[in-house]
Amino acid sequence: MKLRAALLMVAAVQSAVLVAMVGMKQWTLNTGTPVVLETQPIDPRSLFSGDYVRLNYAISRIRPGEVAGDDAFRRHDSVYLVLQPGAPYWTPVSVHRERPAAAPGQAVIRGEVQHAGDRFWDPAARREVQAGFIQVRYGIENYFVPEGEGRALERPRPGETVSLRVAVDRFGRAGIQAVLVNGEPRYREKLW
Amino acid sequence: MKDAGFLKRLERELPRWVEQGWVAPANRRAILDDVAARASQVNYLTLALSLLGVVLLGAGVITFFAANWGVIPKIGKLALLFGVLWAAYAAAGYVLGRGDSPHLGQALVLLAVLLFGANIMLIAQAYHIDAHYPDGVLTWALGALLAAWLLASQPALAAAIALGVLWTGMESFGFERPLHWPFLALLAPCLWLVARHRWHWALRAALAGLLLWSLLALSGAGAWGRHGPAGLAQAFFAGYLLLFVLTLPLERRENLAGLMPAVRRFAVLGALAFFYLLTFPRIHQPWRGFDAPAQLPAPVWAALTVALLAAAALLAAREWRRRSDAQRPPHFAWGLALLALVALLVLVNLLAPDARLRDLTSIGFNLAFFAAVVWLIWAGYSRGDRGLVNLAFGFFALALASRYLDTFWTLLGRSYFFMVGGLILIGGGYFLERQRRRLTRAMSQRAQGGAA
Repeated sequence: MKLRAALLMVAAVQSAVLVAMVGMKQWTLNTGTPVVLETQPIDPRSLFSGDYVRLNYAISRIRPGEVAGDDAFRRHDSVYLVLQPGAPYWTPVSVHRERPAAAPGQAVIRGEVQHAGDRFWDPAARREVQAGFIQVRYGIENYFVPEGEGRALERPRPGETVSLRVAVDRFGRAGIQAVLVNGEPRYREKLW
Repeated sequence: MKDAGFLKRLERELPRWVEQGWVAPANRRAILDDVAARASQVNYLTLALSLLGVVLLGAGVITFFAANWGVIPKIGKLALLFGVLWAAYAAAGYVLGRGDSPHLGQALVLLAVLLFGANIMLIAQAYHIDAHYPDGVLTWALGALLAAWLLASQPALAAAIALGVLWTGMESFGFERPLHWPFLALLAPCLWLVARHRWHWALRAALAGLLLWSLLALSGAGAWGRHGPAGLAQAFFAGYLLLFVLTLPLERRENLAGLMPAVRRFAVLGALAFFYLLTFPRIHQPWRGFDAPAQLPAPVWAALTVALLAAAALLAAREWRRRSDAQRPPHFAWGLALLALVALLVLVNLLAPDARLRDLTSIGFNLAFFAAVVWLIWAGYSRGDRGLVNLAFGFFALALASRYLDTFWTLLGRSYFFMVGGLILIGGGYFLERQRRRLTRAMSQRAQGGAA
């Protein structure tokens, strides 16, 4: 193959891969079911990461005994969580190891088990709870914001609520559409 | 600077060459003038300042964009990322097309490959793509492999292999996949490219990657049933043994002959490394690592080990039959006998129901290991392979030190342990080094005598 053609092909294929990364993300944002998720405070002992926000959701910790579906999960298992609309946040209905069919109006979000245990610390009740749980990661736990604005999202002021509008596509992949503060979009994701 | 040093050495050597009649006296001046002319063409001060300037300029550009990254709109980021990537490939194409600076051209290809990886990370950040992160490294490795294939670039291939090792390390430790088989699927096309272009450095990188992958697999192994991690160590030992034997017929193929010495050396290193692990009694006991399920049942590992050993034995026997008596050095037959003994030990270890019998095999492995190391020294000396001799001596010393530790750690008081150990190390090390130097000197003299 001639040098010029080879170079063009390499550059074109690599560029196509990069475009595909953006395209897949945008497809999820454009075609996915919008789901509003409640965030929960980050462990105050965590280090602040500059302009990169770590997000923790109410659905990050699931107690399989309290929802329908499967019970036994291991670390690195895939998880499919069925969500139903609520006011104002969507709530879990059931949790499964295989992708279930979603009823109309529901969404199925895919995650991976980070940790499975039988007791955890409840910061709200300030006590240890003895119950089976799984800690799940959905790929929407990090968000980059302009320099200096991350702490306000990780640690909202009293009375402020931070939630996220997330698009969940038909494969269960999620993408952050907007960061809401008191229900109003503070940051919105666009293609350009 | 290299040429100036070479010129000085040449000025010292040429009179002896003229005296020996290897170089005509009339040509001596012409040779020196030619080398001197080349040595003076490069102004190293200018080159150093230019390189420093380029590095400073590059650092300045990078820090400028890093400081303002947050305020650049996404369209601007995309334009910048794609623009830099295409510019790097265009520059590589320009330089490679001219043909007078192939090393610079390949360096630019490598730069483009690195920029591809940076682009993956920056786009993931800009669009909040928070997926399974090893996939990003895999994508980068595949991009490097593509560049290596289409542009015949050894640096890009080395980058692809290094990224592949990083990928498999992430999957093995970050996601508890200790036997990460997909790494071999990535390595296969890399080896094909190495064979096609006869790239020696990339071959070494690929073999080092394979060895690392094997060790990662062993270190990540959990419970393996009644065989403990020995089951896995034996399978890898048999695999590297087969690789070693495979180099014998492959050496006869013209396009691969030059690569086989490096392959043979790595195969010996891999086989010795796993054989060394099998000398530890503890590895033969079942144990639990982290809670990772065995990816294949123990009987499958046993069958795989037996199949690999059988293939190695058949191939070795075939090579034995192919060679005439003159081509069968004495160490060859002893090597086959040793291979049979080790195979027997492995089979006993796999099939013995009694744990006490397996305890005896660990003693057998130790004896066989020392015999194998002595055989390697003999084989290396016969073939004039100093690397093999040095490797064998190294493992001999390592095994001796390990047995000393195993045996006397609990028997002696701490202070006596360290004193005696220190004396053994000093004396034994001196003795071993003297023997090694004697052998390698004899090999050099024999080689020079043969050349004369």
